[in-house]
Amino acid sequence: MLDLSSFNNLQLDAIREVGNIGTGNAATALSKLLSCMIDMDVPRADLVSIYSLAEYYGDPDALVAAVFVRSLGEFGCSLIFIQDEEDSAMMVNLLLKQQFGDSLPAEMPQEMLDSALSEVGNIILSSFLNAINMLIGTKHQISVPGVAHDMLASILEVVASIFGQMGEMALLVNTELRVGDGERSISGNIIMLPDPEALELLLRKLQVL
Amino acid sequence: MENTYHVGMADLVVVSAPAKLITLGLGSCIGLVIFDPVAKIAGMAHIMLPDSRGAKSTEKVGKFADTAVPAVIDEMIKKGASKARMKAKIAGGAQMFALPDAPTDFLAVGSRNVKETTALLAKTGIALVASDTGGNKGRTVEFSTDTWMLTIKTLGKGKADI
Repeated sequence: MLDLSSFNNLQLDAIREVGNIGTGNAATALSKLLSCMIDMDVPRADLVSIYSLAEYYGDPDALVAAVFVRSLGEFGCSLIFIQDEEDSAMMVNLLLKQQFGDSLPAEMPQEMLDSALSEVGNIILSSFLNAINMLIGTKHQISVPGVAHDMLASILEVVASIFGQMGEMALLVNTELRVGDGERSISGNIIMLPDPEALELLLRKLQVL
Repeated sequence: MENTYHVGMADLVVVSAPAKLITLGLGSCIGLVIFDPVAKIAGMAHIMLPDSRGAKSTEKVGKFADTAVPAVIDEMIKKGASKARMKAKIAGGAQMFALPDAPTDFLAVGSRNVKETTALLAKTGIALVASDTGGNKGRTVEFSTDTWMLTIKTLGKGKADI
């Protein structure tokens, strides 16, 4: 099995580039969905201790909203779209305004909001994954999304427990999307967690293994 | 002023009263507390995974249920606690995400953590006097040696003492 602690810079660079391709596709899809400008950061590929994941992202106690999907194709991985609760609410509101226009009711039931959030998350993560599947020639198949609202530390325990079964390091492909250029832009992070076999497949296809 | 200890992921802390043991944002992990109210000693572990099979020997003992439970007991005995008087409380083991159409064994690690920890306590003969486990919400827990109560904070549900 691949030992994450022996990863070299060339391999991390290759994975970062994969993140870049995925994020570009996700940004385009989100831009179409919301009909507005999307800005993206250069992705990072980092090896992080599973014991300090929450600190890597921010305040462990912070309230966040997250959408989780699982790739069911040959390239097995988990994908999470994670945002501050406030940013998530703003993004959902943008989408609903887009759909309902001025007839948008002031108070929406939580199920409706979560359904909109899972739709945004699904489009972002599915586009991200699709770009990677196209790049390495694997079949694209994705699960129905799951949504959670909770403390950052609790959400990231999912990541820690996945990587914790193999060791003490997590490989995170991490990228930020920003919506709008007004006073308050909306941010969100895409996290890709490739399975060990998928990581090997990816590195082999990119000819860095 | 009591001494407050933050128990990080896979950590294990054993203290003498007066003290407070805190773990932030338990998701699928377990906050295990074992205490001896006579010797006034308490231990907390932040357990991530059910069993240490296949793990490297250098890994933290608090990470796995099967290594954390005996390690907390041993540490407490070293500090003067008696195994016969020990009681346990646990919280955590939630499943944060549910995907209806995908194989999600890895998302159900919380319930396996609960099962394994509970089974180990039973095997060791330590009474599990209170627990708050499962569900789909994260928990922040705080154990005080003043009251021997475990206070659990859950988003949207407020506080509860067990």
